[in-house]
Amino acid sequence: MSDPAPLTTDHPGQVASATPPAPGRSRRSRRLSDRGLAVAFTSPALLLLLAMSVFPLLWALYLSFTDYSATRGGPAQFLWFENYTAILTSPQVHQRALTTLVYVVGAVTLQTVLGFAIAYLISRRTHGRGLLTTLFLVPMMLSPVVVGLFWRFMLDAQFGVINSMLGSLGLGQVEWLTGQRTALISLILVDTWQWTPFIMLIALAGLTAVPTYLYEAASIDRASEWFRFRTITLPLVWPLLLIAVLFRAIEAFRLFDLVYILTSGGPGVSTETLSFHVYKVAFLGFNTGTASAYGILMVLVVIVLTQLYLRYLNKLKED
Amino acid sequence: MRYPQRRGRLSVPGRKAGLAAAALLVATTAAACGGGQNDSAPKAPATIPELTKDPLTLSFIWFDWPPAHALEAFANAEYAKERPNVTVKVKTVPNANWHDAMFTQFAAHKTDFDIPILDSQHIGEAVTNGNILDITDFVKKNIDVKAYNPYLLAAYGQFPQAETGKRDENASLYGLPLLGDTWTMIYRKDLIGDKPPQTWDEMISVAEKCQADNPGVSGLAFHQANGSDAAAVTYNTVNGVYGGNLWNPRTRKIDGVLNDAAGQEAMDVLVNKMKPLTAKGSGNWFIDEVNAAVAQGKACIAFNWIAASGGLLDPKQSTLGATREEILDKLGFAALPSQKTNLVPLGGMGMHVSAYSPEANQAEALNFMKWFEQADIQKKWAAAGGVPSRTDALESPEFLDAAPFNQVYTDSVPRMRDMWNVPEYARLVDIENTNVNAALNGAKTPKEALDDIAKEQQSVLDSSSGKGGGGL
Repeated sequence: MSDPAPLTTDHPGQVASATPPAPGRSRRSRRLSDRGLAVAFTSPALLLLLAMSVFPLLWALYLSFTDYSATRGGPAQFLWFENYTAILTSPQVHQRALTTLVYVVGAVTLQTVLGFAIAYLISRRTHGRGLLTTLFLVPMMLSPVVVGLFWRFMLDAQFGVINSMLGSLGLGQVEWLTGQRTALISLILVDTWQWTPFIMLIALAGLTAVPTYLYEAASIDRASEWFRFRTITLPLVWPLLLIAVLFRAIEAFRLFDLVYILTSGGPGVSTETLSFHVYKVAFLGFNTGTASAYGILMVLVVIVLTQLYLRYLNKLKED
Repeated sequence: MRYPQRRGRLSVPGRKAGLAAAALLVATTAAACGGGQNDSAPKAPATIPELTKDPLTLSFIWFDWPPAHALEAFANAEYAKERPNVTVKVKTVPNANWHDAMFTQFAAHKTDFDIPILDSQHIGEAVTNGNILDITDFVKKNIDVKAYNPYLLAAYGQFPQAETGKRDENASLYGLPLLGDTWTMIYRKDLIGDKPPQTWDEMISVAEKCQADNPGVSGLAFHQANGSDAAAVTYNTVNGVYGGNLWNPRTRKIDGVLNDAAGQEAMDVLVNKMKPLTAKGSGNWFIDEVNAAVAQGKACIAFNWIAASGGLLDPKQSTLGATREEILDKLGFAALPSQKTNLVPLGGMGMHVSAYSPEANQAEALNFMKWFEQADIQKKWAAAGGVPSRTDALESPEFLDAAPFNQVYTDSVPRMRDMWNVPEYARLVDIENTNVNAALNGAKTPKEALDDIAKEQQSVLDSSSGKGGGGL
């Protein structure tokens, strides 16, 4: 029985060989085969990523400079930046961008305030904290389509339970999904119902991580509740909360499903978001070139805003 | 522990992997670039090719509503007697996804259905893109065209679109009627009397009185949603009744035609006279919501598609009576009132053959169509709950006695008018839907909405160079 071969190696992930390698060619081939092994292990995932993610993105980028249509076929003619110019100067797009902005600001602000408030209240409880957290998380687990469908029934002006409850309180009927202003508010409320738990969860994680000795020291100094919240809790939870806000803002910016189910963009186009508009351009008119440029511009907006936001976060961290 | 140093150049395997990835991208790009050629519609043979004896599933695609389920049950019961090796499957999608579900598969040049059931207005898009077979020769050899009202045959198959009420015998056919349909007026006999209003103005005043006399019951219920073609069909119906036109098909003019004096009057009637008689919050109602309002006794007069009205007679779904007879004591069905014209909307769909189906399935699809259009099968389809298109079936007791609204359809056939059957239909109808919906819900004035429709639709027609730029 031979001695066991040494199991350490200079290269992480490299399997040690029991037989000493021959000098020259065999040493090189061993190095190559290790590399080859690494490539062999990573290539399926890389190829999948290329085929499913990178290629469609590059393909969309190419199409965005053309007048290609997925149904009408024929060779794609290069329009260069014509699609981009058309989108950036279109009053229709400006209107959808404003709707999306109002929606993102409204929904994310409401979710942040509510989510943080709920997390703060839960963090102060000692009993039933786990159960409460689990119950609050339920809406987040549901599919947005399912959420949209049952809220559509609940918000129905004639047959919905919300108006029925308002009626029993002696209040009048509200046209939740068909009023020009109420439709967007309804979208914000439904999104808030579903996604406040996400902010709550992140905020709760931040609140739990605040060292208790800081509160103890503040108590010794007889600091007020508000002072403790303002100078200890909020500054420590703030960076984490901002990351949650970033995630929610990106999600809200892409909103499609709730609009599709609840209002179809109506009344008129007053709740049409950018994503819903892209869908119409892509699948009603099959204006694939324009839709690709529209999608690319949306990605660029998210990337630029995220970069600015991350810089702010880094600055906050450094301070 | 040492880690490999990063170098400026990739190692040999790294470069190979990079080259492989680049090659894959190029190959995928080449694959994606290919196959995008625009073909004109391929021709179906005049004679049905030999049919397979092997088990075969003949797939349809339609939206999810009662006639789709009735068709599957009927075809599997009856067609199986002639072709026992064939199973018929009607795939259904939500109504709002119907167009997308078919045309995204057409765009991929691969379909999981053999017989797409297209709305009459989808034909132009499908024909222009070469998605469905030209069955002109097949129809000449296998179908008795004289058995149909010419406009019905044209509406569900002819492209370019026929003039209202006519068929161009020299034009090509791409489909055959599957399910005829139009709007019926549903009225509460117990609230407004047995005699239905005869004119549109009379209908509005009857609904107004009924609403005033019956608190909690709205005068009218009709489609107002901005999805599918809901609000657009409502406006087009009123437009037709008040003597308006949707467009001039010869000059392809919409601006100045749709929003002329008759069009403006129609929009004014719809928004200022009809809308105030509807239930609060009904601005997103479509087929199901209108039926629910009728079944719950919440509407004096309603308008809905005949093919979707069967559920109104089901006591389990209605508060109007414990039996079908009790419900029928309260509900009446009549053809739409007339005003300046007697036009009614053409609904229903035709069946077509996917150009991307295997040859055996295409042959079976043609055989099914030939079988389905026979006189006795059309009568059986009528008895099974379908709306046939052959004149003899429409006048047969099997059809007229099957449901109380079937007579309405037979009476309405000579009065039908369709929308635009052009490749740009999906965008035209979306423009009309969103603007009519905006007017009905107070987001735009009637005039503003109508002018916007005309302007935006005209711009779609004018810019339709057949390519994918524009479209905003």
